[in-house]
Amino acid sequence: MSDAPAAADVESADTPRKVLFVAGAGRSGTSTLAGLMKILGMYVPQPEVVADASNPKGFGEPQWVVDHHDRLLKEALVQVSDSRPEAWFDTGRVSTREPERIATAQWLESQFGGAAGNGGYPELVIKDPRLAWFLGLWRVAAIRTGAEPVFATMLRPPAEVVGSKQTYYANKLGSAHLAASWLNMLLHTERGTRPTDPAALAAGNGGRVFVRYADLLDDWTRATMHVGETLGLQSVLHANSEQIRDGHRFVDPSLRRMQQTLADLGLPPKLHDLVGQTWEELNRLAEPGGDTPAVHATLDELRQAYTDLYSEAEAISRSSVVHAEQRTRRQMASGAGAPRPPEPARAPVPTAGAAATGVERIPHGVRAAIPAPVRRGLRKLAGKERA
Amino acid sequence: MTAHAGPTGLANLEGHTEFDIIWPWLRPGGLRSGSTAVLRVKDEAPSLPFVLPPLLRAMDHVLVVDNGSTDGTPDVAADTAAAAGLADKLTLATYPFTVARAGAEHRAVHELSVHSLAYFYNWCFAQVGTRYSFKWDGDMVLTAEGEASLADLAWQIGDVQSIIRVPRHGLYLDGTSHGYLDLGLRNAEEWGFPIGPDFVFTKAFEWEVRTTPKPVRSIGLPHGLCVELKYLDGDEFAHWTDPDSFATSHRNKRKRREWAVFNALNAGEVPEGVVEIHAPDGVHIVDHVTRTWLPQAPRPLEVGTVVSSDDQTRA
Repeated sequence: MSDAPAAADVESADTPRKVLFVAGAGRSGTSTLAGLMKILGMYVPQPEVVADASNPKGFGEPQWVVDHHDRLLKEALVQVSDSRPEAWFDTGRVSTREPERIATAQWLESQFGGAAGNGGYPELVIKDPRLAWFLGLWRVAAIRTGAEPVFATMLRPPAEVVGSKQTYYANKLGSAHLAASWLNMLLHTERGTRPTDPAALAAGNGGRVFVRYADLLDDWTRATMHVGETLGLQSVLHANSEQIRDGHRFVDPSLRRMQQTLADLGLPPKLHDLVGQTWEELNRLAEPGGDTPAVHATLDELRQAYTDLYSEAEAISRSSVVHAEQRTRRQMASGAGAPRPPEPARAPVPTAGAAATGVERIPHGVRAAIPAPVRRGLRKLAGKERA
Repeated sequence: MTAHAGPTGLANLEGHTEFDIIWPWLRPGGLRSGSTAVLRVKDEAPSLPFVLPPLLRAMDHVLVVDNGSTDGTPDVAADTAAAAGLADKLTLATYPFTVARAGAEHRAVHELSVHSLAYFYNWCFAQVGTRYSFKWDGDMVLTAEGEASLADLAWQIGDVQSIIRVPRHGLYLDGTSHGYLDLGLRNAEEWGFPIGPDFVFTKAFEWEVRTTPKPVRSIGLPHGLCVELKYLDGDEFAHWTDPDSFATSHRNKRKRREWAVFNALNAGEVPEGVVEIHAPDGVHIVDHVTRTWLPQAPRPLEVGTVVSSDDQTRA
């Protein structure tokens, strides 16, 4: 796929500004959807993250966005795959800061200009696996730039997401943690993109859409037109024949390489149930007319159940946290890059023929630090004056 | 917690047992997650059609407590919520006792009296069913950005024990298409609080104050998210005993600024730091300011060039 934006039939003067935010867990097909939207005429801000073996067709991720999110996550002390429900407040708090709002809105404004001389691009697509943590920040940026924010969330069976992450991220994280972080991200992404205007929701225009990865790979024309129609994306609605051909050249059904089931993950029973039920409910959202208050209510219950489960686990594992804190403190104190083994207990100083006296039990370094007149006074008191 | 707080709630001095307070966190089943905005209102019928829709969209729930309105405020609240399709998020309640006005009158009333501002607030917040709450006024209108910001924080806050400060700007209305926005006053008050025993209301000198543990987390939102409607042809100071009540203390410089701006505008002068705004034809001035003018105003907003009256910034 070329880095240059596709020729858009949609003139900026005729089209209101719109930003499509592609959310979802990493390895859920977000790159495929963003890539298709780019092919169909939406503008992916440049430069993009360079493709690699984990995503040979490209990521569709603007480098500035990735760097911006990386910095903000560090600032908030939140990991990309953070499974703590409280992490959403941490990133939300950072998102309320005026300098971050200004930086995000200014960058977004500069992107609507698009490539020089072609009238600009009114429809942008922003995608990054870290995006879910900062949806509120981007919504504000869209409001400030007079653009409408719309959201597409990719859905892929959690067992496949976990399996794919284990393969491509070198299995650094256990499956329970990865499943929990999937749950945390999807339950809160749903909450964060939930329409607040009931009239718009009832009219099927809530500004968001859920897309199953399997559907996208099976028939991308149907899936993307559903996205375009639901979100009113002019680029998709008016895509030309060559752009559609490029779409067929781009989508590779063999991309879905992971096909394990939830049972294969061997999750703790409570977590297993929550993941299974959440996946079932999220699937309802992907059905036509499925984005309903009844489903939202069920997802609210599941979110609360996950929060409760996490709180329980956190309370039980407090000793692990304290241990990790102690290790880190020791590491910091020693200035070493890796944790050092504890200092062995010091053997008692052997004394000739008798147990050490109280004075002798004080290490020499400490004794030497005591001023000489004080030392002499202490010796006198102890009846140990030197000749 | 207030020195008078009992373990299960508060009993009022007058013996109106039906208005005794039972702490909501002791309710069977406990509190559910989410946020509730609590409005204590009296004669806010003109403002509620602007105040309620964005607030209902942003919050999980909104509680409107009427206190002696004579202008149909409860009906307007119900109609506005229904028109927005959000009637299920609104609860209406009535508090039938006369509440002391801020200042000298408030100081003279015991905090366990049903006439005390502190008791009134404790009763209102005891009706909340969620774990987080926002104190809100019947004339405070969220901008588009303010609505988006509070909609996020309303669920992100979860069980985090943090206070949220919300800046607001006075919007003085001269009819339906012309107004004045006071950016000369910098004012950010603590509006968001967890519901729990550490955060109840007690008595301060001129009005009520909410207790907090020490230290406590607090975050402040940026400027430009909320306006406070003031009608140039109305009585904007009726809830105060008299102007002498806010004449001298540093605590009351916001009120003194409002008094000065209100009277200057009514005398035909535009004070320093106040911006005159005209809405386009067919657009109400409140909608224009909150949906377009403020959201798209250059950032950072220049605020507080004349008076600064923020709540303390906590760690």
